[in-house]
Amino acid sequence: MTAVNIKTIMTKKTPDKIDLYKQHKNEYAAPRKPVFVETKPALYLAISGQGAPGGEQFTASIGALYGAAFTIKMTRKFAGQQDYAVCKLEGQWWSDSGNDLSKAPKDQWHWNLLIRTPGFVTAEELQKAVAVLIKRGKGQEVKRVRLESLAEGSCVQMLHVGPYDQECLTIARMKEFAATNQREFHGRHHEIYLSDPRRVPPERLKTLLRCPVRPQSRL
Amino acid sequence: MRTATLNDYKQRLLRVLVHIQEHLDEGLALEELARLACFSPFHFHRIFKGMVGESVKEHVRRLRLERAASRLKLGAQPVVGIALDAGYESHEAFTRSFRSAFGVSPSGFRSSNRRSKVAAAPSGLHFADARRVRHFKTIQPGGKKMEVKIARRAPLRVAFMRHVGPYSAVGKTWDRFLPVLGKEGLLGGDTQFIGLCHDDPEVTPPSRARYDACVSVDERFSPTGEIGVQMLAGGEYAVTTHFGPYDKLGRTYTRLLGQWLPRSGRQLRSCPCFEVYLNDPQGTDPKDLLTDIYAPLAAQSSISVR
Repeated sequence: MTAVNIKTIMTKKTPDKIDLYKQHKNEYAAPRKPVFVETKPALYLAISGQGAPGGEQFTASIGALYGAAFTIKMTRKFAGQQDYAVCKLEGQWWSDSGNDLSKAPKDQWHWNLLIRTPGFVTAEELQKAVAVLIKRGKGQEVKRVRLESLAEGSCVQMLHVGPYDQECLTIARMKEFAATNQREFHGRHHEIYLSDPRRVPPERLKTLLRCPVRPQSRL
Repeated sequence: MRTATLNDYKQRLLRVLVHIQEHLDEGLALEELARLACFSPFHFHRIFKGMVGESVKEHVRRLRLERAASRLKLGAQPVVGIALDAGYESHEAFTRSFRSAFGVSPSGFRSSNRRSKVAAAPSGLHFADARRVRHFKTIQPGGKKMEVKIARRAPLRVAFMRHVGPYSAVGKTWDRFLPVLGKEGLLGGDTQFIGLCHDDPEVTPPSRARYDACVSVDERFSPTGEIGVQMLAGGEYAVTTHFGPYDKLGRTYTRLLGQWLPRSGRQLRSCPCFEVYLNDPQGTDPKDLLTDIYAPLAAQSSISVR
């Protein structure tokens, strides 16, 4: 047996842990000015609701979503199945009057909180995770967690640095960029939380903003 | 009150510093030094390092080298004997250390005309007759101001898995621990992930350092196999957030215990510090990791006025 063979065998242990953000690096471009990104359909754990961010239901929903994400991951890991990193929190936001949130009061905002999950995670695994979490008294909210596939396709994307309530300035730039390129927003505003708001001061918060676009309609 | 307390901390450390100078040839066990200064052995080493600017081990080593330099200059004792007195088993090891501290070999130094030599010392304290040790410079908090809050915690029941070995390898213990709990639905959204460091990695040899990977659990969880249950003490804690990679946590501990604490008017309780991990190291860039460090405070009334 050659040295090369031995090395191949020694390093051929369990497959490496999957990091979806690294695997789909192009979809997570975070530039300081708007760009177009092409996204492929992706699977998420999701929980939706209505109300102001930071409210009771919102906070409980984040907990439930993470509880489901960790339980599914750790159950797989315990069984020796493919390991993966739990992705960051993401969210879609809209209001009854459309996708422009600035026109609606916060308590009427709709949200769909998301954690991207490898495509091999099944509905059955989610059901099992929900069942053990309920059994352990981790709250009923987790029952509302579902698996959801998003196909956003072509999107405008840009990094927003600063408080969440100043996102409108970044969104305006993204909209303008889309228009200059004969595109228009279509679909829900989507954001990916790169920073942790629990300790990072508002002015340093990094949030990746994404909005699906389509060719401008010629009316 | 504040300056009195800083002064009190300094006086207590000064007793240790004098003792070290008087007993340079002895073992200088940490427990003994901590007792001299009336500090809990849990925290003494970090307070020392934070205030004096070097660890006890580094301090003793430097003083022994400075003493060796003075003996080289003033006496005719062979270099090998001086090396042995400085705690080195070989001439080579002594020469290496001596050169790195003074930029010259021991024999080169002996034959040169320079009168004396001291190594760089943040505390300004050098090898001397112990009776002359009356003062040292405390390290000033540098850089950004440290944000410290006082928080009251309820006692917390945790499931834990003990790790014995280098702290840099605790990830492996977490990797074994979390799947066992996770598959049972014990990792909910409000679960706390906590690290309890029983030993200071600069004091205890890394292979023997003890660390408990802890996860908050309710009273229904019972110990199983390798997983035990313990209570983290409630009460008042000084809390600061460490921003960035885990391998730099030691610096934040040293700043909290060695720089903030002596100026805070507070003293520590005799139980270990712990760290609460706020994000998941697997999906987070090391520079974005957030860790709250908790140092247990003694009740305020117990401040002794000397």
